[in-house]
Amino acid sequence: MHSVTAIVVAHDGSRWLRDTLRAVLAQTRPIDRGVGVDNGSRDGSRDLLGEAFGKHSVVQMPRSSGFAEAVHEVVRRLPKAPGDTEWIWLIHDDCAPDARALEFLLHAADEYPETAVLGPKLRDWLDRKLLLEVGVTVARSGRRETGLEAREYDQGQHDAEPRGVRDVLAVSSAGMLIRRDVWDELGGLDAKLPLFRDDLDFCWRARAAGHRVLAVTAAVAWHAEASSKRRRRIAASDDHPRRLARRYSLFVLMANLPFWTMLWSLVRNTVGSLIRTVLFLVAKQPAHAVDELAAIGSVLFHPLRLRRARKARKASRAGYQLVKPMFSPPSLAFRRIWEMVQNQLSGGGPMDSAGRHHAVQQPGAEEGDELLNDDDGFLRRTFASPGVRLFVLLTAVAIAAERDLLTGGMLGGGALVPVAGGASDLWAFYTGEWAPPYVAVLAVLSTVTLGKTWLAVSILLLGCVPLSGLSAYLATRSFVSYRPARVWMAATYALLPVATGVVASGRIGSAVVFILLPVYASLATKVLADTRPVSFNRVARRAAWGLGLLLAVGTAFAPILYVFVAVLGLLAALSFGGVKRGVGGNLLIALGAPLLLLGPWLATIVRDPVRILREAGLPMTSSPRLAPEALLTLNPGGPGTPPIWATAGLLAVALGALLLRRHQFIVAVGWGVAIVGVLAATVVSRMSTWPGVPLAFAATGLLVSTALAAHRVAEFRKAGGLRKAGAFLIVLVAFATPVAAATLWIMDRAEGPLERGVRSPLPAIAEAQSKPGQGTLLIRAAAGGSTGGLTYTVLHGRTPVIGESERAAYGSDFTDAVAGLASGRGGTDAAKLAGRGIAFVSVPAPIDPALRRALDSEPTMARVTLTDRAGLWRMTGTVTPERPPADDAWHRWWLYGQGALVVIVLILAAPGARTAEAEAPEEIPAGRERVAV
Amino acid sequence: MRRLIENRFGMLALVLIALGAVYGVAFVSRPAPVAPVKAEPVRAPIAAVSTVCPDPGGATVTAVTPPNAEGGGQTLIEDGDEPATVDEPGKLWQKTMASGTDPMRVHATGAMAAGLEAAQTRRALTGAARGLAGVRCVDPGADAWFVGPGPAAGDLKLHLANVESAPADVALVVYSGEGQVIADRASGMLLKPGEHRVVDLKKVAPSPLVMALNVSTGRGRVAAAVEAATPEGVDWLPQTTQPAERVVVPGVPGSAGRRELYVAAPGESDAVVHVKAVLKDGSYALENRETVEVPAGSVVTLDLSTGVTGQPAAIVLTSETPVVAGLKIVGTGGRTDVAFTAGAPSIDLGSVVADARSTKDVTSRLILSAPDKAADVTVTLLPREGKAPEPIEVAIPAARTKEIILKGPAKGFSVVVTPKTGSGPVYGGRVMEERAAGGQLVTAQPLAVARTWTLVPPVAEEPSAVLSQPS
Repeated sequence: MHSVTAIVVAHDGSRWLRDTLRAVLAQTRPIDRGVGVDNGSRDGSRDLLGEAFGKHSVVQMPRSSGFAEAVHEVVRRLPKAPGDTEWIWLIHDDCAPDARALEFLLHAADEYPETAVLGPKLRDWLDRKLLLEVGVTVARSGRRETGLEAREYDQGQHDAEPRGVRDVLAVSSAGMLIRRDVWDELGGLDAKLPLFRDDLDFCWRARAAGHRVLAVTAAVAWHAEASSKRRRRIAASDDHPRRLARRYSLFVLMANLPFWTMLWSLVRNTVGSLIRTVLFLVAKQPAHAVDELAAIGSVLFHPLRLRRARKARKASRAGYQLVKPMFSPPSLAFRRIWEMVQNQLSGGGPMDSAGRHHAVQQPGAEEGDELLNDDDGFLRRTFASPGVRLFVLLTAVAIAAERDLLTGGMLGGGALVPVAGGASDLWAFYTGEWAPPYVAVLAVLSTVTLGKTWLAVSILLLGCVPLSGLSAYLATRSFVSYRPARVWMAATYALLPVATGVVASGRIGSAVVFILLPVYASLATKVLADTRPVSFNRVARRAAWGLGLLLAVGTAFAPILYVFVAVLGLLAALSFGGVKRGVGGNLLIALGAPLLLLGPWLATIVRDPVRILREAGLPMTSSPRLAPEALLTLNPGGPGTPPIWATAGLLAVALGALLLRRHQFIVAVGWGVAIVGVLAATVVSRMSTWPGVPLAFAATGLLVSTALAAHRVAEFRKAGGLRKAGAFLIVLVAFATPVAAATLWIMDRAEGPLERGVRSPLPAIAEAQSKPGQGTLLIRAAAGGSTGGLTYTVLHGRTPVIGESERAAYGSDFTDAVAGLASGRGGTDAAKLAGRGIAFVSVPAPIDPALRRALDSEPTMARVTLTDRAGLWRMTGTVTPERPPADDAWHRWWLYGQGALVVIVLILAAPGARTAEAEAPEEIPAGRERVAV
Repeated sequence: MRRLIENRFGMLALVLIALGAVYGVAFVSRPAPVAPVKAEPVRAPIAAVSTVCPDPGGATVTAVTPPNAEGGGQTLIEDGDEPATVDEPGKLWQKTMASGTDPMRVHATGAMAAGLEAAQTRRALTGAARGLAGVRCVDPGADAWFVGPGPAAGDLKLHLANVESAPADVALVVYSGEGQVIADRASGMLLKPGEHRVVDLKKVAPSPLVMALNVSTGRGRVAAAVEAATPEGVDWLPQTTQPAERVVVPGVPGSAGRRELYVAAPGESDAVVHVKAVLKDGSYALENRETVEVPAGSVVTLDLSTGVTGQPAAIVLTSETPVVAGLKIVGTGGRTDVAFTAGAPSIDLGSVVADARSTKDVTSRLILSAPDKAADVTVTLLPREGKAPEPIEVAIPAARTKEIILKGPAKGFSVVVTPKTGSGPVYGGRVMEERAAGGQLVTAQPLAVARTWTLVPPVAEEPSAVLSQPS
């Protein structure tokens, strides 16, 4: 006797689930047991399952669980049915079997008792006659092959007469009927393949173990392929299904092939992938290209994972000879290429290398279908997402405020060196000498922006407001669940006085830190407070590496960040370390990675500790007399910051939120961070340093603790009456801050030292005539003009690129010589300068007449030009070119080492197979609250 | 603690206390406002000086370095084939050159450079060049201004010498009473290193009766001096200050004779120039000559004889457009001689006059003016022979001019004028007069800033110099 247990796995599939369940329950051969699994649906799928199978037969799984995991969970709990041949019938929520499907399947099973896995013929859900698959096989490229033409209608042409069964390598997991003893023997579907190709992998193993896998053509099921066609959002992974499919295809292939065959296949697939990537790029499908690369990369870069999978499949490789004949013939590959060429020529759909999940792919139908969906259409989802809307809005605000900064000549001013040069200049600078590491970061970004450094800098600096808004919105996903609160929080964060001040004064260092700060907060939360039991270690460890890497980036731009994070980390370690094992180690990773990545540079800072207070770009001091009330209202002062009342609303709401008793622990932590931040800002400010970074920290703490209480406002609103009015008032006050900040910013036109159309400091003649190793001395009246002081810098044959300003100073001898030259005292000053490689002296307007006279009267110098805008003099004597820095072997090795370290940290930080995140806020168990600050 | 945190008011109170504490810290640590420290320039001795006596032939050349700086040094006087060296500060070197001598370069380094001064004085009792004609040996420069009579009023010769190692590209701009003179031959003069040349200004611009001359170089440097031989007498035109909105023409002697002021407005717009004379007893606007209007690009003369003759004076000109100015001093007698003074800077760092004499016939006057604030100066004489007399302290009340008749050894001496610290700006000139048969001989030289000291501005290496500073 057979005993069939139908397992229906649902995930946001209520659209199809009703029909599916009806079909399952209406089988002519009734199922013996029915179990529903709900993978954290949000559309009532759970209730539907409950109605169909009874409340107790529904298993609730987290939203991030995969299909295989869900089935495993059910099978684990399923009591054995003694005496019977037990079968497991896997049903997707979007797969409705025909009424007689089970009957035919069991009939075939009776007929061929050695069969372990059976599957129905699959047809399309909407176009009911459209054939999807009749068993599948795999190509050597890992491609899933159905052996069908595109859009083939089922007229019985593939039905295997007379008995209605076909021997196949695999059948789809939609409607798959599995003998339970075989399931147990083989260990079932591989839970490491949460979504795609788990069926192929399982059937391969079944085949290799000597079982038969049959496609029963008489049994029919209609399948909507909701996940692979993106008709619903996948929660088990953040990646595009195409990339997942490709990745898992390769993985399954590599895991099951014998070693030498696998190696050969690996090589073949790597080369093939690269070729395909190029083809995709040529065909202007960059997304596909990225997916292709990411898929092969994820297989290549995780050899350990592959090894584990292979270890588990030792037995299956032994039976390779049984599987080999089932592979798709090589001729099929040529057919695919031909189809691809045809497609390209006819302007058809995109190339596809993963192999369609099924035979049909209808781009047109896909689009039309999407709109029917409630929250999942791509375009709609994009523009319906509050995050995207916020980003668009903030971008509009930024464009309106920065209207004078968007176009025109060179961008520069404040702390920003006029942005000149391209990615190659930055690379040359970084690899040529001991340059500050942020140059490398900017070089990478400039490379991404096709070598245009100005574009990269503009995006970071001028786009600071929308980017930080976006990062704040996305990064808080894991701990603020109430969306309007997240929107408010992100908008307020993005428009903080720090942000507008950053833009106005061109502080690219603070801009980068400001954008990254929410990400730090999110990663740090994962490191400290991840409570997920299963994957806790790995997720937290990865987060720690990621935090370390990003911290290194931020530290390179503004070293003070590291000090601040280290202090907070230490406090956190003291309060969490005793509670959770591993936190200490992860914190050590997060704080140690920047030390490792920035080693020699940090050593130079330790030698000159004042530089901790400096940030990327030109040194720019700030008044040490910042008012205490400005510090408390998170206003760092300086150009571009609004009056201090602009942020008063934020402070009022934050204090008000304290009265709501909710998340008290996190609120306390948030306020702790805020107060430590303001205190640090006070210290830093009194040292004539702009307190942007610590104030951004303080604001983050304040915003998080406020946003966590925000859902109470919604409750108030529902309550009506006086409370409703109160809620309205709170919202008004809360939103007053970002609205006022945006308005003031737009009215202020982001005015500050940062401007467009900065003149190149190097006269064209000097640029054209400087020989290598020669420099141009640029002398300018010091700020505040009338004091008569002069400042100078030396330019080397071109407008300096970002970071060159941090070169070692020329020293007091040189300064004395410049002063002597400027005084016109004669003597050997000019010769001294010429001996240090100075070939030109440039003085931009306004030219002090005394200085002009001095330069004119210097016998070893000749005037080249003198106009209202600038004067240029040339050394007539011999100019000794500065010796190019000796080829520093230690520097070269360090560059290699640094590159290798970055790659290693990237790999360690890269999300593994399971990147899913629980979106629900993690409540911290009550027991931990005793360690409150 | 935990209970406090879980109580809503407890938490609020905690936070408020913490905020208050932070406010307190910020309030207490806020530093008092500090006035920005004004970095004062530092005085430093000049380390090398190079100066050119434009036409020493037949003239007496004097070179001196006052004893200022410590250490060694050397002055090299390139006197044709027999260069002389001096390495003793305070010692006068004086020699009368044979006629036809080329321009002479006087070059000093080290301690001898600090204050080096050289001048040439020619004395002729007969002939067309009758008169005293003196000029301070000039520094090579890129820009020089002269104001005085024009080529139509006499022979005007521009002496150019390039003593540098780079070629100089010289351009002349002549402004006349009728406006700027467009001249073909005014530009494109190239002087090779070591080359010197005398340009007859008549060939450049024959018509101006009065002129302002700007000698500038596109590249390189040149030593420029203008010799004027007019029917009234001969002398050199001293270099005047660059066009400025305030010009002080010092050194008008208290002797008799005509005084004529030249004012030029080389800019693009007309100038209304206010004229004031700083006299012995105060500073006055001259009656009916309170202002003078100078059309753009032209030169105007103003007879000041009735106002200042017989009184030592300095003329202060103020205008909203930059002007240059000079003054002609005409000696008395049947055959007159002229002398010229011109706009000069204040001698904040001191001044040296190389050549002065005091005999029965020759009077040397030092005219010092303090147009703004009271000034105190020390006047020291450096005699050619013999012991130096005691320094003289001179106090000049605000807006007054003082004339000092210099009494020194007959063989000649140099004069060092040093303002005391805290003194107001001082302007001055030295005038030498000689009673001679037929008429008085006269020459004048406005005091120039001594090459003793220079102000070394505070300089800092700052990468932000690449950006234009907001003023």
